[in-house]
Amino acid sequence: MEAISHAGTVLGVLAADGVVLAAEKKVTGKLLDLSVTKEGGYGGSGEKIYLLTNNVVVGVAGLTADANSLVNYARTAAQRHLFTFNEDIPVEQLAQRLCDLKQGYTQYGGLRPFGVSLLYAGWDPYYQFQLYLSDPSGNYSGWKATCIGANNGTAQSLLKQEYKEDIKVEDAIALVMKVMSKTMDSTTLGSEKLEFATLTLDAETKKPRAKIYRPTEVDALLLKHGLAKKEDAEMK
Amino acid sequence: MEAVKKGTCAVGVRGKDVVVLGVEKKSVLQLQDPRTVRKVVMLDDHICLAFAGLTADGRVLIDKARVECQSHRLTVEDPVTVEYISRHVAGIQQSYTQSGGVRPFGISTLIAGFDPHDTKPRLFCTDPSGIHNAWKANAIGRSSKTVREFLEKNHKDDLTREATIKLTIKSLLEVVQTGAKNIEITVMESYGKQTSLALAEIEAIVAEIEKEKEQEAERKRGRHAATAASQALMAQANLGSTDVSGTVTPDS
Amino acid sequence: MEVSFALTGKDYVIIAADQNAARSIIKMKGDEDKIKALGSHLLMAYSGEPGDTIQFAEYVERNLRLQQMRNNHPLRPQAAASWVRRSIADSLRSRNSYSVNILLGGYDMAENTPKLYWMDYLGTQSDVPYAAHGYGSYFALSLLDREVQKRLVISFPSFRVKVVDAEGVREVDVDMSV
Repeated sequence: MEAISHAGTVLGVLAADGVVLAAEKKVTGKLLDLSVTKEGGYGGSGEKIYLLTNNVVVGVAGLTADANSLVNYARTAAQRHLFTFNEDIPVEQLAQRLCDLKQGYTQYGGLRPFGVSLLYAGWDPYYQFQLYLSDPSGNYSGWKATCIGANNGTAQSLLKQEYKEDIKVEDAIALVMKVMSKTMDSTTLGSEKLEFATLTLDAETKKPRAKIYRPTEVDALLLKHGLAKKEDAEMK
Repeated sequence: MEAVKKGTCAVGVRGKDVVVLGVEKKSVLQLQDPRTVRKVVMLDDHICLAFAGLTADGRVLIDKARVECQSHRLTVEDPVTVEYISRHVAGIQQSYTQSGGVRPFGISTLIAGFDPHDTKPRLFCTDPSGIHNAWKANAIGRSSKTVREFLEKNHKDDLTREATIKLTIKSLLEVVQTGAKNIEITVMESYGKQTSLALAEIEAIVAEIEKEKEQEAERKRGRHAATAASQALMAQANLGSTDVSGTVTPDS
Repeated sequence: MEVSFALTGKDYVIIAADQNAARSIIKMKGDEDKIKALGSHLLMAYSGEPGDTIQFAEYVERNLRLQQMRNNHPLRPQAAASWVRRSIADSLRSRNSYSVNILLGGYDMAENTPKLYWMDYLGTQSDVPYAAHGYGSYFALSLLDREVQKRLVISFPSFRVKVVDAEGVREVDVDMSV
C-alpha cells in the first residue's frame, strides 16, 4: 500500500534472549513540543512504538490515525484474553485478532481497509520470543528479522547479510542501530528521529519485560554505538 | 476468481485407503519463521483442508469451519462428515456472493478426510462461488488446469498409498519447478490419522520420479534412433521415392 | 450423593470419581464416567445437578478443543481453569445456571508441573495440592490434611498486610511468631 511505503521505517530483530524494535519518526520539526515525552508515560514518544500488553510491544508503519485505532483494539483484545484466561495473550493470537479485524475491513462493504503494517515483538510461554509482521490485507507471518515502511528493501537485504542465528540481544541492538543508520533518510541519528524498544525476560521473575526507551536513553544508546549526531560529539 | 488463480497450487488425490493433499509452498524467506506459513490445516481430528488464494481470507474461513466442527460434535454428538463440512464451507462462501456489501472469499479449498465409522477416503473441493463437489483427484490455484489435465490422464482408481503420494507429487511437479523443498505433503491415512511427509521422504520420491522420467526419455531417444535408422533403411531401399518419413513407426 | 477426589504428586495429578448415576433414592447405573479428558494433559471431574453436569462438561470439552485447533496448542491448565471458572460464573448470573462442581487437574507442559484446581458451582476457584467434592470430602479432606490446623478458619496462621502512603502501595511482612 502506498501509505506504508512512505512511512517511517520500523525494524525488528529476534534474538535468542529478547526482541529488538526500532522505528524512524517522521513527524519532526523545530517547533514540535517534545517536552511531554521526556518525562512520564511508559517511554517512547507515542508515534511509532506502543506497548500493547505486558508481553507485546508493537511498531507501526502507515496511517498514524488508523494505527491508533488498531493499537486501541489490540490493547482491548489483550485485556479481554487476560480476563477470560488469566494469562497474558499469546503473541500469535494477538496478531491473529488484529489480522481478523483487518481482513474484515477488506471484505465487508463500505469500509476502507486499514492502511497500517505492524511489527509485533513479544514473548509467551508457548513459543518464547517471537516477531510477527502483519499487513493491511490481514496477512501475518513470523520472522527472525524484518522491516516495514520506507526503504524496507534495503533494510531487508542488509538484515539478511548480517543476521546470525542465536544472536544475543546486545548484538541485536547493535545490528538494528547499524541497519537503521544506513536506511534512514537523514545522515544523523537522534532521539527526535528514532524510537527504540526491547523485550527481554526479567532474570529474577522470568516474566517478560518490555522497555520502550525514553529520548535521553535513545541518545545514550546512539552515543554508545558511535552513531550520535556530529554536533553532540563536537560539543564534548 | 482471479485471486485463486494467483494462489499457490494445491492438489488432492484419493487412493484406495488414503487421501493425499499436496501443496506448493512458496519458498520460506531466509529470515522467516516456517512455523507461521501454513497451507494445510486440520479442521478436526479427521479432516484436513488445503486452500489456494488470499491467506487472510483462508484463515477466517477456516476458523468458521473449525467452529462448525466442534459445534456439530456438541449438538449431535458425532463428528462431522467430510461432505457435511464441505457443504458448510461452500455455503459460507456462497452467502458472501449474494448478500450486499461484502466481497466473496478469494479462496478455493480442498477438503480431505474420512467419515466417522468408515474407511473410504473422501475428497471435496469448494470454490469462491460456493460450488462444492466430490472428486477422485483435483487441483486448485496457479496452473490448476494443467495439473487437472495431468491428473485426468494419470489417475487410476484404487491407488495404493505409495502410488497416491507419488501421483500427487508428480502432478505438483508439473507446476513446481523448484522440486521437493517447495512441496508439502499431508497424508490422511485413516480416521483421525494424519501424517506429514518429511522433506527427505519427498526428496526421495522426487528423485525416483526424475529417474523414471529420465528412463522414459532414454527409451524415447532409443525409439527415435530406431525410427531414424529404419527410415534410413527405407530410404535406401526405395531410392528415389520421396517422403516416407512419419509413416513408418515401428512398435516397440 | 456424589464424590470426587484429586491430589497432586511431584509430577502427576490423580483424579477419582464415583460411578453412580442416581435419581432420588434409586441407583440407576453403576458405571458412569464422570471424568472427562479435555486434552492430552487435562482431566476434569464433574459432579452436581444431573443433566447440568454432562451438558456443561461437553460444552467445556468442545470449546477447549476449538481453542486447541485454532492455536495449534492446547490451553495450559491454568488458562483452562480460568476459562471454566469464568463460564460457571457467567452462567450463575444468567436465567438458567449450571450447578456443577469441578475438579480440574492437568500437567503444565510449559513449566513441567502438575496443577489442580477446585471449583464449585458458584464460581469459586482455588489452586490446591489436593481436593474433594461431595459428601466424601468431609472424610477425605480430614484424611488428606495431615495438619488439621491449616484448614480451621478460626486459627489464622498469618496475615497479609498492605500499607498505602505517600510512597505508594507496598506489602509489609508481619512475624506471627512474636
